Amino acid sequence: MAERAVTIPSEDAVPVYRLKVEEHESYANLVWRKFRKSPISILGGLMVLMLFSLSVFSDFFAPYDPVKLNMREGYLPPNKLHFIDAQGKFHLQPFTYAWKQVLDENMQATWVEDTSIAFPVRLFVTGWEYKLFGLIPSTLHLYGVDGYEQGGRIFLLGTDKFGRDIFARSCLAGRISLAMSLFGTFISVAVGSVLGVISGYYGGNLDTFLQRFVEFVQSFPQLPLWMALAAIIPVTWDQMAVFIAMSVIFALLSWTLLAREVRGKVLALRETDFILAAREMGASDARIIFYHLYPNCLSHIIVVLTLTIPTIILSESFLSFLGIGIQEPLVSWGVMMREAQTIQTLGFNLWIISPVFFIFVAVLGFNFLGDGLRDAADPYTIT
Amino acid sequence: MIDAQNNIILEVKNLKQHFPIYGGLFQRVTGHIKAVDGINFFIREDEVLGLVGESGCGKTTVGRSILRLYDPTDGEIWFRRSNGERVEISKISQKEMKPLRREMRMIFQDPFSSLNPRRTVKELIGEPLVIHRVASGSALEQQVAELMRSVGLDPAYMDRYPHEFSGGQRQRIGLARTLSLKPRLIVADEPVSALDVSIQAQVLNLLSRLKEELGLTILFIAHDLSVVEHISDRIAVMYVGKIVEMAATDDVLRCPLHPYTEALVSAIPPADPDIKMERIQLQGEVPSPANPPSGCIFHPRCQYAQRVCSQEEPPLVEVEKDHFAACHFAKELKLRGIGG
Repeated sequence: MAERAVTIPSEDAVPVYRLKVEEHESYANLVWRKFRKSPISILGGLMVLMLFSLSVFSDFFAPYDPVKLNMREGYLPPNKLHFIDAQGKFHLQPFTYAWKQVLDENMQATWVEDTSIAFPVRLFVTGWEYKLFGLIPSTLHLYGVDGYEQGGRIFLLGTDKFGRDIFARSCLAGRISLAMSLFGTFISVAVGSVLGVISGYYGGNLDTFLQRFVEFVQSFPQLPLWMALAAIIPVTWDQMAVFIAMSVIFALLSWTLLAREVRGKVLALRETDFILAAREMGASDARIIFYHLYPNCLSHIIVVLTLTIPTIILSESFLSFLGIGIQEPLVSWGVMMREAQTIQTLGFNLWIISPVFFIFVAVLGFNFLGDGLRDAADPYTIT
Repeated sequence: MIDAQNNIILEVKNLKQHFPIYGGLFQRVTGHIKAVDGINFFIREDEVLGLVGESGCGKTTVGRSILRLYDPTDGEIWFRRSNGERVEISKISQKEMKPLRREMRMIFQDPFSSLNPRRTVKELIGEPLVIHRVASGSALEQQVAELMRSVGLDPAYMDRYPHEFSGGQRQRIGLARTLSLKPRLIVADEPVSALDVSIQAQVLNLLSRLKEELGLTILFIAHDLSVVEHISDRIAVMYVGKIVEMAATDDVLRCPLHPYTEALVSAIPPADPDIKMERIQLQGEVPSPANPPSGCIFHPRCQYAQRVCSQEEPPLVEVEKDHFAACHFAKELKLRGIGG
């Protein structure tokens, strides 16, 4: 009869385990490391950053006051930047010519550059006064030309009907477009994520009801609904109230995507051991939802967030183009597009449509950013 | 069957945990999975009861039902609190259960999924302390550091995330979390099954040592008899939702009274490679808990089965002193344990 001999190492002292001394990586660090490996994501980030700079510091980038009316200079074409003058001489510093209208052989008015005076472009010039962040007065502008009385101008994207510099106005318009999309996205994400988590966690009848509600909202035709809601906004409301109302309207129809995604993630997470452990130690439902489930949904939320922003930018542009929502004197990219509605205007003054490039850069930038974040946001999965 | 001894900390009477099966067009209840089907056992204070059985026998469900992570279908669960008061917890609300959770905790099986990947070690271990408002701020940090030291982890790493640790270390983190409220009863649900064998030994030894130091009572759930043997004072054997044998460790292993236990024990490899193993190969398949056999649940696979076995369910009775078995022929059968 053999004795069972089982040898197990005995321990008198408790071994203290030392980890390999590695750089401690927080979640944000891990995400950033993965993110910066993708050049297109970096590009998207830079595009977004550039637009935000242009918008926030729009007065610095604007050689002329975008709000001041200047009827005598309406519909001027963009000033071209020249390095070689009419005599063929090369100048390192670019310069512009003023435009003058002449009648050609068919008695049609056309624009011709007046090459008699060259206006060199200078950087960091003194110009019209503005208040940085609405507080600090300044007269510094990034670029400009001298010789205003002789007709020196630098309208990089031309002027609109009222003689306002389109480039300056586009930068200013970015404030409303970006702010509205950010605010609307924030509301949308807040509503969508909370409803999604509750729906997924509690399940049962509450879940069924919320999902039917989501489907109900999604089956609405968006444009007619927006038009109807925007039409309800009283004209007597001030600008701030209109801004908030429009943001809420956009958020109302875009929260459903996040609600579904978060619900799906929560359904999967609900069965994991760490949620069971939370219940085992007596955590309340609220704690489980906000302390445990929410952070694990963060990657989904971030991605949908960065993809909702361009959606709202486009929607706002569309509505403003139709004349609904944002009205003068507030300016957004969509409002600027309103002037480009007739064939004649567009035919004669094609530069009116240039705000569309700002929209293009914004949407593309946020999409690249969102794609990059989607790949980077889950650093725990080893690809 | 169980006399009212003063030092019984947990007593389970006729516990049943059935899960409904939904089917058909309207998702009606078409049957039940009888994961736990009427079990009786008790644990004395400061002892380790090993609950063994193969996968799917219901042992994990027993652990979760005791801690009220499920609502038991039937039966009674009696728990003796630190102040000596005996409470029946099978039907109380979760709100009433919360203060009891400080005294009865669980260790989870999977070290990879039982820790929230987005929370630091400090937050994970300290969470029970926060939920039950035991400590906060620097006092919390102190206690977490103390807990980490007691399980063999360096407190300097409390700001790290679980993915930066190995499996054995994560299980230690889970252990620290379980011990944070100084519980008296611990349900250890296969705490070493997911670890390498060498790490298993370390964690088991740690558990033993902590048990002695802190005066813990442990319900040790496992499927590996050799692991259970090392740490348990008594062993209960489960099969398809029922306990078939319960006795002191040595008695179960050397002189089993139930044929299923005999088969399990015969499969333990002896340490001496020269000893020829005579494993009993059970015929047939494990029955589905949704459709258990009549009479004795083991009778379709039992080599000693008689007619009565398919007709009457044998109750778990005390066949010898402190040795319970659920078999009609427990007294007659001469079964073989370890060591002949």
